Amino acid sequence: MIRIVTLEPYDPEDLAALSRTLYQAYGLGTEHAGSKPLPAEAESDDGRYDAAKILSEVEPIKTFADDKVLYLTSAPIRVKPGPLGEPPSWCYSIFGGDRAVLSTGRIPARGASESSIDAYRRRLARESIHAVGHLWELHHCYDPRCAMHPSWSPNLPENPEQNLCTFCRDKSERRIRMSKT
Amino acid sequence: MEGIIADVSELSSGDRVVYPNQGVCRITGRSTKDIAGQRLEFIEMAREEDGAVVMVPRGKVPSIGLRRVASGDQIEGVFHYLAAQYDDPELDWKIRHRDNADRLIAGGVLGVAEVVKGLHSLSRIRPLPTKEREQYDNARHLLVHEIAVSLGIEPALAEDYLDYALMPPAGTVFKLKPPPKPVVLPMRPRHKVVRTDAEDEALELGELGIPGLEDIPLAEGAAGEEEGEGTEAEKADGEEREEGAEEAVGAAEVEEAAQPPPARKKVALAPKARPEAARAAPVAAPAPARKPEPAKKLEPPKKPEAAKKLEPAKKPEPARKAEPAKKAAGTRVKKPEPKQEKKAAAKKVAARPEKKPAARKAAARKPSKPEKKPAARSARGKKK
Ligand SMILES: [Zn+2]
Ligand SMILES: [Zn+2]
Repeated sequence: MIRIVTLEPYDPEDLAALSRTLYQAYGLGTEHAGSKPLPAEAESDDGRYDAAKILSEVEPIKTFADDKVLYLTSAPIRVKPGPLGEPPSWCYSIFGGDRAVLSTGRIPARGASESSIDAYRRRLARESIHAVGHLWELHHCYDPRCAMHPSWSPNLPENPEQNLCTFCRDKSERRIRMSKT
Repeated sequence: MEGIIADVSELSSGDRVVYPNQGVCRITGRSTKDIAGQRLEFIEMAREEDGAVVMVPRGKVPSIGLRRVASGDQIEGVFHYLAAQYDDPELDWKIRHRDNADRLIAGGVLGVAEVVKGLHSLSRIRPLPTKEREQYDNARHLLVHEIAVSLGIEPALAEDYLDYALMPPAGTVFKLKPPPKPVVLPMRPRHKVVRTDAEDEALELGELGIPGLEDIPLAEGAAGEEEGEGTEAEKADGEEREEGAEEAVGAAEVEEAAQPPPARKKVALAPKARPEAARAAPVAAPAPARKPEPAKKLEPPKKPEAAKKLEPAKKPEPARKAEPAKKAAGTRVKKPEPKQEKKAAAKKVAARPEKKPAARKAAARKPSKPEKKPAARSARGKKK
């Protein structure tokens, strides 16, 4: 199943909505498994948190085989720069592994209006599907309507959909089926 | 091509190599087996991402395109290539499919990047047909893993690097260096194709995945040039098959003899192989002389000949019959599959006929916008 672990307080209704959407996306039970402190060791000089360190240093939670854990933090994350500089990563996942961290700090402000909250939840769901998708070995997708399309892409619509395209959905289903056998 | 392995003697246990279309493997050892009275030496390796065991007969090593994992400089060249302006995608599916197969087999890490970028660029015009969507994903998978291994990072981060280059956020400006010279593809005799509207329509139907059209198998030897073009992927190798048809038979027999059935059985049992990778769209056999041209292109046709001499790896010149990745070149990734399929695969594994020298001349590909320079560079670009 998918376990959401918050690294600071989140609105319970946001989390409930997120659990429902993740369940719909992957057909796997999803729950909020509790909260853990954001590991101080992961903080870097510029005030951002090293994504890889968050995953390696965070207090463990009880999991079972095949569980996927998604950590949520509003803190800005940083990743190791590559040949063209640091990519604007929204999440950091262990590819084909069991854990990922998503920085929700990049999501446009939640606000207080019904529509802004709705937009926030949709984006939260989309990025969570994306981060968890990498745990099922999904790669990025060229289709801007697909949740696996890069989160920073200039082609992404303003209010991107919270779905996988057919190709990515099929692939995730195959992966999930394989892991169960 | 840089890093190509010409002989097993260059390898020792623990070395990491890239097996085209299969991914990064670690050499685990060598073994000798008596098979049908023949003593065969195998080099054994394990695919890193899933531990799948791969055994390659020593004599096969030069022809499968085994190469060293890309160096930091090569990877850097790849990023400067990815971030450079898009070239117009190849719209003729036959050429595209064949060229992409060549790139994946013998183009090194840059070849894999070219497939990703080329199909990406095509996807901006229209959705990819199913087979190429898979090929895109497979190429991406191979590229991401090689970048990850070469740079010592998580594959998901490697993928962020990749798409930062390919689809940077609006306003990003990279300080780019001239990308490496494109992978040199062999020039083949080409008939002029004049496509009719009807054929284009048929092609579109195929691309839309209309059932039936997708599954039309290509008869051996059919050129597929003027005939109805049902699907892109399936038929793409038609031309090549025609070219090498006569020689193919002889070579196949030799191959069968060299690889007696027991060997196949032995190596074809598999723990866990990535079906995604194995399901790769058909790819061509290792290509002949394929070395990127040294400096400025002076006499395009001559270079490859010279390059060929410098590359022992290319000696047992395989021909260019395209076939699915999992059947690549006589080696197998152990993986559970139905028996018949195994047999069929084993059959197909035959060495490809050698191509006529005339057909082997490589041509300089159309250069993309900025002036190309050889790949290896060490300075880095920076985002502004
Ligand atoms: Zn991603
Ligand atoms: Zn997708």
